[in-house]
Amino acid sequence: MSRDGFTGFTRGEARVRTATSSLQFAGLGPLGQLARLPWGVILVISAMALTGAAMLFSTAWDPVNQMPSPHEADLWRNHLIRFAIAFTVMIVLALTPLKVWAALAFPAYLATLVLLVLVDQFGTMRGGAERWLSVGGMLVQPSEFAKLAVTMALARYYQTALNSTNYVPGFQVHLGALAIILLPAGLVFKQPDLGTTLALVSSGCLVIFFAGLSMRIILPVIALGIAAVPAAYLFVLEPYQRERVDTFIAGLTGTATNGLGESYQIEQAKIAIGAGGLSGRGYLQGIQSQQDYVPEQHTDFVLTVIAEEFGFIGAIALLSAFAFLLVWSFLVAMRCRSWFGRLASCGAAATVAFFAIFNISMVIGLLPVVGMPLPFISYGGTALLTVMACFGLILSAHLHRDEKLNIRGLF
Amino acid sequence: MSRKNRNADEMFDRRMFIAAGVGGVVWATLAARFFQLQFLDAERYQGLAEANHVKLVMAPPERGQILDRFGRPLASQRQAGRISVIPEQMSDPEAVLNRISSLIDLPDARRIRLIEEIRNARRRNSAFLPVIVAQELTFEEFSRMQVHAVEMEGVDVQMASTRSYPRGRDFGHVLGYVARASGEDLDRLTTGLAPEDARTYQEMFRHPDMRTGRQGMERFAEDWLRGRPGRRRVVANAHGRPLWELEQDPKQAAIPGKDLYITIDAELQRVAIDRFEGESGAAVVIDIENGDVLAMVSTPAFDPNGFVNGISGADYALLRDDPRAPLYPRAHGGVYPPGSTFKMVVATAALEAGVIKPEERIRCPGHYRFGNRTWHCWKRPGHGAMNMHDAIKQSCDVYFYEIARRSGVEKIAEVSRKFGFGQSWVLGMTGARGGLVPDPEWKQKARGEPWFEGETLNFGIGQGQLGTTPLQLALMTARIAATGAPIRPRMIGLGPVDEDDAVLDAPLDREIMERMKAGMYGVTSEGGGTAYRSGDLGLGGPRLAGKTGTAQVRRITAAERATGVVRGGDAIARELRDHALFVAYAPADNPKYAISVIVEHGEGGSRTAAPVARDILAAAIRMESGRTPEYARRASTAPEPEAGEPA
Repeated sequence: MSRDGFTGFTRGEARVRTATSSLQFAGLGPLGQLARLPWGVILVISAMALTGAAMLFSTAWDPVNQMPSPHEADLWRNHLIRFAIAFTVMIVLALTPLKVWAALAFPAYLATLVLLVLVDQFGTMRGGAERWLSVGGMLVQPSEFAKLAVTMALARYYQTALNSTNYVPGFQVHLGALAIILLPAGLVFKQPDLGTTLALVSSGCLVIFFAGLSMRIILPVIALGIAAVPAAYLFVLEPYQRERVDTFIAGLTGTATNGLGESYQIEQAKIAIGAGGLSGRGYLQGIQSQQDYVPEQHTDFVLTVIAEEFGFIGAIALLSAFAFLLVWSFLVAMRCRSWFGRLASCGAAATVAFFAIFNISMVIGLLPVVGMPLPFISYGGTALLTVMACFGLILSAHLHRDEKLNIRGLF
Repeated sequence: MSRKNRNADEMFDRRMFIAAGVGGVVWATLAARFFQLQFLDAERYQGLAEANHVKLVMAPPERGQILDRFGRPLASQRQAGRISVIPEQMSDPEAVLNRISSLIDLPDARRIRLIEEIRNARRRNSAFLPVIVAQELTFEEFSRMQVHAVEMEGVDVQMASTRSYPRGRDFGHVLGYVARASGEDLDRLTTGLAPEDARTYQEMFRHPDMRTGRQGMERFAEDWLRGRPGRRRVVANAHGRPLWELEQDPKQAAIPGKDLYITIDAELQRVAIDRFEGESGAAVVIDIENGDVLAMVSTPAFDPNGFVNGISGADYALLRDDPRAPLYPRAHGGVYPPGSTFKMVVATAALEAGVIKPEERIRCPGHYRFGNRTWHCWKRPGHGAMNMHDAIKQSCDVYFYEIARRSGVEKIAEVSRKFGFGQSWVLGMTGARGGLVPDPEWKQKARGEPWFEGETLNFGIGQGQLGTTPLQLALMTARIAATGAPIRPRMIGLGPVDEDDAVLDAPLDREIMERMKAGMYGVTSEGGGTAYRSGDLGLGGPRLAGKTGTAQVRRITAAERATGVVRGGDAIARELRDHALFVAYAPADNPKYAISVIVEHGEGGSRTAAPVARDILAAAIRMESGRTPEYARRASTAPEPEAGEPA
């Protein structure tokens, strides 16, 4: 049997697998498990993280002295160190059996809820929002862990509902799932952190969609949601968030004022991307993003550096890398025998996908500015750890795709 | 398939395909947007990017030099090591400044002020503009800083162009100095300019290398020396800080300022200052042939180098409060009674008025009675019968009381003005004063009192309200020496011309001037002359002709008159002693140089001022200070344009 070394799938493999393939490496221990990991996928992930470090190096580059400027030189090193830690976490999580994941789902969810309440009570203010919790001198963002926890909890919830019957669950079952999403989402929204709230709700709803909520409900809800946008704009959004939406609309309708204010950031990002042209200015030549014209070029707007230095070719390569990872994740979901594995990898993939889509759309001016990092590439430890953990979950679902979890009841 | 009990596996597959389809659409949308930005609109965004980071920054012009008549630099641009910091690049300014102060000498007070300045710059959003930490580094400091600069954030060690005055205090009062433009300077410099030019000026003067003339020649010739700022195309970061240069447009280059030549001979100036041997005073040497000022000495003086980078309050207070007044420009701004050096003017007035004949004798018994008061001659026993020649030679006061009374105040005042008294000459300097020629009209206006005839007698011997500057006295002497020919005083050899400076061309009778010259020759070269010993220049031939003078600082008391002992010398406090004056020209038979000298509190014109004047004149003759200046030669040897192209 020829095995595709890149994705880990056997060509023409069906979802229902023969017992032999899962037994093939049985008894080989952890080393055998490592060998079964899809190293091609891990290579793409690593390449993206290294690209992130290279981009941070570029933003720190001082073209006059031909060396990284000292006060920014730490960023790319930190990113590499964080990647090394997150990578280890991902591999450990990948080797964790699905039944352990399933068993941890609800406790992790509850722990996250507690942390979010703690942030609400004792959180550290930064940039006008309470998102950080100081743990032994380190600042962590519980809202980031919420993304993984919600996904696990949803998958665990539907595992019970679907496994026993293998019939599409009814409406009241989905209502419970909705509650699982909205509880942490509400707390995150209160911080306020619009970006994470959106990511939580979007990827959570996508899991409900995959779990079979009737289209007769989905379509009207989408219609209602669109209709509710103006009301949300008026009554839910904070003034600064409203300003961003205004700016975005002004940008779309061409009435944006060049220069200062909220539109400055997005205007400069578009200039940086557009100036990259077809093949870019070349590595370390991205003056627009290097010389502070694009604010937040290390974090949310790191894409501008890639687009300016590597042009359209670089941008498409980046989009393709994401597409590859997401398609592979969907294939994992389709090949998984347990509903927990299926929905967990769907939810984890959706989390990463929404990160990527929101971030890219925001940077290229297709969506209003919401604080959302570019997975693997943006500077920021917690976010990197979250997406790597998401892929740890998907990798685990891949390794343990033949496990049929026989869990009855919720606990 | 029934709506209930649908198979979940099939549903899941279907939903995966829907999701994949939607995902594909999203992917295509994003890709299309990149295509739009980076392919369709790429050119527009490249243009916007260039407009963003290519900036035209101010290129300050190099200030022109000031040179003496023989091309010796008096003020020039010098490269000096400088440390500056850019606040936006510093995370911990305090640590950086502490490090710098461990490498170079940086006073604590200055360091604390700098930290404050850096913080302010950050608040004011001007954090990309360099803040100067230290300049005029020694070679050791400069190399030590260069080695360690890389370890410190935001520190820049470079060579910068600064103004320097190689002859220091020799030319403090003539050249003045430059300084960073203050708000007041900017107001003055931008008055009458178009708004955009005014903005360019303001931007230019913010540049740390830019200075503006604050005093003296530097201020007068500001426009001549400054040049025109240019623009350099640079790539700048988002905060406006220039990063590197792009290809430059030659049309946009800065135009350096023009060099300014002054008529002074720096070596003669040096000799003159040295000759004062630390005494306070002034000396002005004028070339009789063309009115060139060859030396303009006021001592003690200040060193203009101390002002270029901003003088500290303490240092300035030292200068300001020094009892010997080094900031006081005595040569052209110091007003003194001329004393007996004024007697040629009174004699000229009397001869012009025809109230006396040159050979008419007036008897001097040592005093002169007028009304119910007695005026004294400096020589108590009296001079006996004096004609005009003897009266000048021996400086007989009684003779001049008489002819002053006969001429009347109006006539003396008129002739004084013909000689240039009461009038100021700028000559490219600041601080010039005109002094005062008193007359009844002035007195009525200033004091509200009528003129008393007794005052005419004081006027006659150069005392009283009469106020003159050493420059005016030198000009007076030059006109006499030139036997009345016009004199056009000037100190700017090649530079902007001041149209306000008058030419001394009021008609003076040649015959009368010859008599004055003969009298002055008598002073130094005939027995009984008040400066008989100073007539020989020591050059084995040429002699000088001159006139002594004493300017009273206090009134001689009645008690002193009664006892006949006028206290002087060590008996009275130095600052109460009289000023010694001497005016002269040389060579006596063919006048070339005219000089006036005042030695403050020097007491006797013949004893202290005359030897100084003699030695300066001798030096001028020996060094040929009046020979053709370099700028004249340069102007005449400028390459002629080709008559025509060869066929």
